[in-house]
Amino acid sequence: MGFRVKIEGAETIELHIESVQKVSLKTDIPTDSNARTKDVGSTMIISGKILTAVDGDPFDSTRQLGLWSLVPAERADCYRKLTVEVISADQVVRKIFFPNAFVVDYREHFGDTEGVGTFKLVIKQKKDKLDKITIEGGYSA
Amino acid sequence: MGFRMKVEGPETIELGIENILTVEFETDTPNDSNARSTDLGTSLIVKGKILTAVDGEEADSTIKLAQWSLVPGERVDCYRKVTIDVIAASQIVRQINLPNAFVVDYTEEYGDTEGVGTFYLHMKQKKDKMVSIKLEGGFQE
Repeated sequence: MGFRVKIEGAETIELHIESVQKVSLKTDIPTDSNARTKDVGSTMIISGKILTAVDGDPFDSTRQLGLWSLVPAERADCYRKLTVEVISADQVVRKIFFPNAFVVDYREHFGDTEGVGTFKLVIKQKKDKLDKITIEGGYSA
Repeated sequence: MGFRMKVEGPETIELGIENILTVEFETDTPNDSNARSTDLGTSLIVKGKILTAVDGEEADSTIKLAQWSLVPGERVDCYRKVTIDVIAASQIVRQINLPNAFVVDYTEEYGDTEGVGTFYLHMKQKKDKMVSIKLEGGFQE
C-alpha cells in the first residue's frame, strides 16, 4: 500500500509514497462507558522515513512537519487541513480528511548506522469539530 | 548518517561522528488534550560512546557533558546553546538549535566486557523560550 499525505495551512506539506511507511487511524472512546459517550476523539499516527536528497533533488517536507509541531497554540496556523490517501492497486482504499488537525506529538530519530531517519507524527482533530471529519474510499485513484 | 554536536556556554563542548550514535528530536504536548495545548515541550536526546584516548590524544569532551549535567539551577550556565547537525551524503539533513537548553537526565554506563562506555543525554529547551528553537536543514554541508 502507498500513502499520500497532504497538509494545508500557512504552507502546503506533501509527503509521498517514498516517505510514509505507516498510517493508523484511531477513534478513542472511554472503554468503561455504559452507553454511547459524547467523549469521542480521533487520532491519526503517521510514521515514515526522513530521506536525504541526492543529485540536487529537493528535500522532502518532513522538516516542515517539525516546524508545524513547534507552532504555539496561540497562533491560528497550529490547526491545519490534513488529507491522507491510502492507495492500493490503483484504488483509493481510504481518504481521510481532518479539517482542523493539530499536532500532539512529533518525534524524529536518527542513527549512525542508518542512511535515513524516521519520524512519527501524532495528530488529533479539534474535538468540537469532530463531525467535520470525512472518511471516504473505494474508488479508482 | 553522521552527527555533530556543539554545546556553547562558558566552555564549548564538541562531539563528532565517532562519538554520537543516535539523535532524537521530540515535541510533546499532553495526549489527552481536546485542542492544541499551550503546554508544549521539546526534547533532544543524544546517545553516544565514551571513547578512551590512545596515543596521547586528547580525551573526548563527554566528561564536560557530565559536568554540565551537575550545574545547579541557580547558576546561569546551566542553560547553554546546543546545535546538532545531522549529516548524510554531504548534506545537512537537519540542523537543530536549542538556544537555552538544559539537562534533564544524564546517564553514563560502563561494562567490564566493553572497550567503550555509553552516555545518554536528555536535554530540553527552556519552556518560555520555545519560539527561539530553530529547525533547519536541507542544504549542502
